[in-house]
Amino acid sequence: MQLHTLKKVTIVTEDSLKNELKRKICELGASGFTCREVQGYGSRGARSDAFASNVEFEVICPEAVAHAILTFVSHHYFEQYACIAWLSDVQVVRGARYAEPVGTTP
Amino acid sequence: MDIELIGRSLRDNLLTPIPMCFALGIFSKLIHGGIKIPKEFYYAISIYLLMSIGIIGGHELAHEYQAHGVTTIWKPALMTLLLGCLTPLSAYAVLRYIGKLSIADAAGIAAHYGSTSAVTFIVANDYVGNQNVAVDAYLPTLVTILECPGIAIALIIGAVGMSMQKRAESTARSNGLDDDDEHKGKLWEALHEVLTGQSLMLMVGLLVIGFISTLVMPADKFQVFEQFFYNKNMIFRGALCIFLLEMGLVTGERLGDLLKVGPFLVAFGIIMPLIHGFVGCYLGKMAGMSLGGCAVLGAIVSSASYIAAPPAVRLTLPEANPTLSMTAALGITFPFNIAIGIPIYFWMAQMVGAPMVAKEAKPPSLMVPAVSKPAADKAGEAKPVEAKH
Repeated sequence: MQLHTLKKVTIVTEDSLKNELKRKICELGASGFTCREVQGYGSRGARSDAFASNVEFEVICPEAVAHAILTFVSHHYFEQYACIAWLSDVQVVRGARYAEPVGTTP
Repeated sequence: MDIELIGRSLRDNLLTPIPMCFALGIFSKLIHGGIKIPKEFYYAISIYLLMSIGIIGGHELAHEYQAHGVTTIWKPALMTLLLGCLTPLSAYAVLRYIGKLSIADAAGIAAHYGSTSAVTFIVANDYVGNQNVAVDAYLPTLVTILECPGIAIALIIGAVGMSMQKRAESTARSNGLDDDDEHKGKLWEALHEVLTGQSLMLMVGLLVIGFISTLVMPADKFQVFEQFFYNKNMIFRGALCIFLLEMGLVTGERLGDLLKVGPFLVAFGIIMPLIHGFVGCYLGKMAGMSLGGCAVLGAIVSSASYIAAPPAVRLTLPEANPTLSMTAALGITFPFNIAIGIPIYFWMAQMVGAPMVAKEAKPPSLMVPAVSKPAADKAGEAKPVEAKH
């Protein structure tokens, strides 16, 4: 089976940024994303109840898009929000699927 | 004599299941106890409570409308709108010029205090009902009026203040205009989220539904819905106990932050609501509201939002420290109002001379020596919890 190497960006940040980030990820050229509610603890204290919870985004995309997303996140969120983000390599079956921007914004 | 009156109404308020469930939640967190309300269940209960206030509020508003048209409603509604615009300004002024907080922090906290807490409304309503004093039928409508303007005004103060400060700091910066546009976009997005957020949509939506269906449906057909959402308070009060237990857990989690925020904010979280509460009672009386209505209006004007305001502030004023506003709103003002504030607003409403309307023609219990209530008896076994609180 032919496998294609792509990048996966993972972002864990505050729930209140969810809508903005959904839109931004698509605008920056991703073909889609997965997001879910998560809990955690870090430099900004516990983020695990109904009043302070986190959201985790996973985006599989070409390297250029991954860099654009990471740049946006680091410029806009790192300083003032609870936010971490990282990049990893992933192998997928249908490589072309992730190369095309989704076009619409959620 | 007044002190005795306050003391008695404090006891009547504290030693009932609803505040004691709240205290149990705090106590459980303090001793790292095992009580845990599943998040989805908590959301379900809050949806039920919001729908319930909405539909019953609409139902009663329809009766009021049928009896008096809009003559009794428009003054309190206008007064509430005025209060919604005043409270963020007074809170901001105190925080910024007496507390010397930064623009963002002052505006962020002012947004919380300019808005209102639906749960404080429910508990205040319940308290006034327990005193056998009637509450004006249009109060749930006033809650929805009060929810939004305070947040909007405080966020605008914050956004304008921040951009002026930034411009003063670096007049030569080339991207100053971009920043302004971005701020404006975020402000709009945040206000959109408040207006279309779950709490306001459920309350306003069900208010309209309750209003229309009461006018159209035969009374006996509507009764089914009244039974599910209210049932003479049976389901409603039980649900409120569960909700307040969770609120206690959340508050208990944040008590440690009280040390971080400093004495000014602790004092602010108690004194500001008292001032706002008094102004609310007074203006309520001016608008022709009854004793029960003035007391509840005082409570909702004094209360701070902790559901609608935080995400809006987070989005528009990221420089504001959320620990400050959440600790003040949820760790200080909310417990203060639930335990002590509401009886004080009731007393204030009596002081300003709001006319009393008895509920279901029973004598108001505050005016006669307190009769032992079943709730106070049941409360006995959980007393150690109350002592901790």
